Amino acid sequence: MSPKEAARRRWARVAWAYGLLLAFGVFFVGPFLMGFLASLKTNPLEWPFTLGFPQVRPKNWAAAWQLGQKGSGDPWLGGMRPGREVVLEVAYFWPEPTPPDLQAAIPRRKPGAGMGAVFEGPYAADYVGLLGPELVETRPFRLGEAEGYLHRFRLRIAYEKEGPYLERVPLDLEAPRGALLLEATLDPVRMERRGRVASWDNVVPGLLGYAFHNYVRAFQESRSLETGQSLFLRWTLNSFLIAFIKVLTTLVFASMAGYALARLRFPGRQALFLFLLFSMMVPGQVTFISNYLVLKDGIFGLSRLFGVETLLNTYAGLILSGLVGAGAVFIMKQFFESIPREVEEAALIDGATPLQTLFRIVLPMATPALGALAILTFQGTWNEFFWPFIVLTSPREIYTLPLGLLSFRNAYGQVGDWGLILAGGFLSMIPILILFAVFQRYFVEGVNVGAVKE
Amino acid sequence: MRLKARTLEGLYALFLLLPLLFTLGVFFLYAFLRAVYFSFTDYDLFSPPRFVGLANYLRLFQDPLFLKALWHTLAYSLVVTSLQTFLALLLALALNQPLKGITAFRTVYYLPSVISTAAASLLLLWLFQRTGLVNQALSLLLAHLPHLLALALLFALLQGAQVLWEKRKGTPTSFLDPALALLSLPLALLGTYALDLLGLVQVREARVEVPWLPTSATFLGIPYPLWAIILMNTYTTIPTFMVLFLAGLKGIPKTLYEAAALDGASPWVMFSRITVPLLRPVLFLVITLGLIGTLQLFDQVLFVGGSGGAPLEATITLAYYVYGNVFPSGAAPRVGLASAAALFLAGLTLLVVLLQRRFGVSERGWT
Repeated sequence: MSPKEAARRRWARVAWAYGLLLAFGVFFVGPFLMGFLASLKTNPLEWPFTLGFPQVRPKNWAAAWQLGQKGSGDPWLGGMRPGREVVLEVAYFWPEPTPPDLQAAIPRRKPGAGMGAVFEGPYAADYVGLLGPELVETRPFRLGEAEGYLHRFRLRIAYEKEGPYLERVPLDLEAPRGALLLEATLDPVRMERRGRVASWDNVVPGLLGYAFHNYVRAFQESRSLETGQSLFLRWTLNSFLIAFIKVLTTLVFASMAGYALARLRFPGRQALFLFLLFSMMVPGQVTFISNYLVLKDGIFGLSRLFGVETLLNTYAGLILSGLVGAGAVFIMKQFFESIPREVEEAALIDGATPLQTLFRIVLPMATPALGALAILTFQGTWNEFFWPFIVLTSPREIYTLPLGLLSFRNAYGQVGDWGLILAGGFLSMIPILILFAVFQRYFVEGVNVGAVKE
Repeated sequence: MRLKARTLEGLYALFLLLPLLFTLGVFFLYAFLRAVYFSFTDYDLFSPPRFVGLANYLRLFQDPLFLKALWHTLAYSLVVTSLQTFLALLLALALNQPLKGITAFRTVYYLPSVISTAAASLLLLWLFQRTGLVNQALSLLLAHLPHLLALALLFALLQGAQVLWEKRKGTPTSFLDPALALLSLPLALLGTYALDLLGLVQVREARVEVPWLPTSATFLGIPYPLWAIILMNTYTTIPTFMVLFLAGLKGIPKTLYEAAALDGASPWVMFSRITVPLLRPVLFLVITLGLIGTLQLFDQVLFVGGSGGAPLEATITLAYYVYGNVFPSGAAPRVGLASAAALFLAGLTLLVVLLQRRFGVSERGWT
């Protein structure tokens, strides 16, 4: 084989390898990307799936920003306040030089499905006045083969009276058969009745309200029936709180137990370690019945001493029952065994107690292992479903995020509101994705450290 | 004096172990023993347990729902474990190359396995809707089948011609020679494009609307919704195991391959005689972890079922059966039966571990 031939072959092999890598990349990221794009759409199940929908056009972002700014002074989330006015322009194609007869209306539409439908918000129709459509321009226009005219209309939406802040101002624009919507200041989110009715859920959406309307809805529509507070926000905060406490307890108690198992001699050490391994193999379904009852009684009635009847539906119960995981102890034990004994022997000779040795000398050395353990524990707690699902049942305010997602799925799955369900799912991924982006080394190596999962 | 030091050390150990002993004792040992006890009783959480002996275990095997759950669990476990092991190994082999930027790819591939089962289930639900992306992709594939066939045919022809040409020149080439394929592939693409322009191959009408989820229809004895879960979970677990394999592959000395290459061993021989035997501990670990993990399928059943989703009979698993018997809707809890089923599940898991200890290479694989 000539050197030239060999070089050519090497190049070809590298090209194949990268091609393959890219293909795998598409496979592993594609569904997430598609799901994310779909979560921006008004109808995530549209057929055929398109990538050029109104929510991804910069023109609409700019318009949504400006309309939100004019409507309420908030370019991000939009809305409408008294004394404000916004203007929307639409252009229709129509074969005649006389303008088509447009019917504009601000409908009294429920702000959402599922949980959102329960809440009675103020209807924009009761407060906002609609002026127009007023013709501003007519000129000859060619649409493909068809000759005709372009008619441009202007719609004024004014909030003149006193009144509440309006989250959204919907708009329906009905055109006669044969008229085609060519462009609009802000593209409508839906075309109804065979394309004759252009429908806006909100003409003053703001940038986030338009591009990420399902995400905004996830926060706004899932509200507590009693307090009107955003449930999704609560769930997120709950998840953070529980994950934070769990990480703390795990770090402290797993280091303690791991150190004892790795370094101290006591009767039954081997047996305890084997028992620890055994406990990792037994599925949670075996122990959850008894654990449920134990929490129900407040840990053998002990919690009554503190004036608590039951530990069900409390975070105290959830945290107490998972103070330290067997897998975490296992990881820490493995790590401590990898530290040379000489380091501690010096301390022991100087008369330090095992506690002092652990907290003053060994733990500061263990920062990498603790970091990995913290991240793995956070991920595990954030994603955990089964046990919180048993312990936290009511009210909905105490759910963690995965439980909230289930109630989302049940509330919106029936009505097919997939935009909201997907948005909830992606929102729940954000903290983990950020963590992963920053500490991906720990995630990937963590699998090797803690090969035996909890 | 020495004895006293020992006692002191023991006391320190006890103190350090207290939280672990509390958790293990109350929430594992006590719970485990109680589960064993409950499994021999008839208990509905309200009236005191009544001893019934082995009746619960016998009742389990007469319950069609349990048999269904057992079958689903076993089938799911076996299919997912074999799929993910095979694909993760393939991927790890592909990634174990001295290429630039491989770490970035590895990171990207790992992405699906960091997300929660809840979020993954929501994505699954969306993907497998009647007008979802899976059906759309299948439709697209079917519609362009003529193009794909033409492409494959053209590629085979062009590649064959090139290989023959090289062979006549006297260079030894195999049919899948990458250097030649790099020419054949673009040519075949161009050819297909030309055929399309000429109207010789045309896009067909195709619209696949398989109702993946709201159905009890089965394929190879496994219901469609369970297949959907199988595909999704394989997809999310491949990366985890790929990383384990990669670590294993890193541990194989390069010199072995170099020696084999000097002896003129083909890639396949190297794979089957060097890689696989030296990867055995990791392989067993991956299979064991895969089996243990898949035996406990629960979250997805809950998410995929329910309103507008899959009927329970099509996706029920042992883990869900246990839950469903402790908290049944509109009936008294059957804790005894549930405990028996749970212990059965635990028995299955332990069996897997014992088998791996017996046949696998144990200690090295666990660390």
